[in-house]
Amino acid sequence: MDRNKLGKWLQSPGKMAQKYSLHVLYFCTGCGIIEIPPSITTRWDAERFGVIPVATPRQANLFLITGYVSVKTLRFIIRSYEQMPEPKFTVGFGSCPINGGMYWDSYNTIKHLDKYIPVDGWIAGCMPRPEAVFVAVTHLWTLIDKGMADGYKKYREDYQYYRENQEKILGKLEWPPLFSNIENERK
Amino acid sequence: MTTILEIIIVILLAGIIGLFFLGLSRKIMARIHWRYGPPIAQPVIDIIKLFNQTSMSHGILFNFGIIFSLAGSVVVLLFLPLGRICPLSGSGGLLVILYLMLVAPLGLTLSGGEAANPYASIGISRIFLLAMGYEVPLLLILLSVMTHYNSISIVQIVSIQLQTGWSFQHLPLLLPGIAYILIFPAILGLRPFELIQAPQEISSGPMAEYGGKFLALATIQHAFNVFIGISLFTNLFLGGAENPGYFFLKMLAVFIIFLFVNAVFPRFRIEQAIRYLWKWPTLLAFAGLVIVMITG
Repeated sequence: MDRNKLGKWLQSPGKMAQKYSLHVLYFCTGCGIIEIPPSITTRWDAERFGVIPVATPRQANLFLITGYVSVKTLRFIIRSYEQMPEPKFTVGFGSCPINGGMYWDSYNTIKHLDKYIPVDGWIAGCMPRPEAVFVAVTHLWTLIDKGMADGYKKYREDYQYYRENQEKILGKLEWPPLFSNIENERK
Repeated sequence: MTTILEIIIVILLAGIIGLFFLGLSRKIMARIHWRYGPPIAQPVIDIIKLFNQTSMSHGILFNFGIIFSLAGSVVVLLFLPLGRICPLSGSGGLLVILYLMLVAPLGLTLSGGEAANPYASIGISRIFLLAMGYEVPLLLILLSVMTHYNSISIVQIVSIQLQTGWSFQHLPLLLPGIAYILIFPAILGLRPFELIQAPQEISSGPMAEYGGKFLALATIQHAFNVFIGISLFTNLFLGGAENPGYFFLKMLAVFIIFLFVNAVFPRFRIEQAIRYLWKWPTLLAFAGLVIVMITG
């Protein structure tokens, strides 16, 4: 721990702890997951930044979506995202979640992930190298510092927009809305 | 008044030492894997973060169970001598510790069971199976220790050892000591017996539905549990200590040795674990008990 960060630690321990303890839920949707094992093991040890993989969405606060998102997996991505405790951050890994990538004309994948869940940052490339994960983590730190990593707040405010988009592609969703509509209409 | 002060000191020291051990274990495991590893304070950072998250409860038993388990661990702490400090030394001794050591897993099972996650229920069945596995040799070991020293009070056992040398130097207690070393990873949940949490296999078992404050409390409970496991072994077989500093050094040595075991071994399946626990440690402990009965 840096000694000149001690002031920040005393001022806002919650925020600093969120920065330096990112528990990651890796969603292995596609080929992007192949870059994650080197980044968490010996070659590029992610644990020195406090980034470790966890097993369930309840324990995680960073959601890494690695690779293309088919319509079938979108359902589980949304459920996992809604189960994570706030504050939570999402990062799309690879070009497929950004704009479809090489699946730009596929009938079965979604093209823009940020229509369905809020995304705080993107790692572009096909494939991004494991170093790109660390660049993303340091960018996320600055975003958290400035209070700009507020995707979970956006999800709360614009829940109706996201829910409509989700229902447009998945049909009727079998789980009730996460936030009640009355609260949203009042805003 | 001194008792209350001692209780506070013991709980604080145990929490700090337990969390330090958790951080140290992550660092040492990383160095064995040729990684740099997280800072030693990483478990504390995690706990601060977890307390600052929203958390989702699954019912009254879910809330109650985790507090029950934490309280069970704290109560066991008060019966274990830490150097000369032992707040509840006058009562019970080893028998009370034997009973109370089951409270913490029971609380975890109550809490995990309320979440109704299938992985949690597999984890719960494994908690009890593993406890059944290591309680049999542990009971035999404690029986032989109590018979050899003619006392059920752990404070008295420690003070006898301070005069006559560690239990390992008493020849009849050699076999029970070896048996305790063999079941030690199972009590701590270290790697040959890491089957309760097993993140790759059953998604961290009973913890599968824990998030936010619940996970923070579970981590603190785990830290206490590590402290209790090592402290009991140090008191019974390594002679305790006069002052907490020396006691801490002994605990550190024991913990680092078992971390090396943790780093190299893969995980047992549950039936392999039970077969192992009921074969070699139980045989050794039973032979040790017979020898203690004959010579004592």
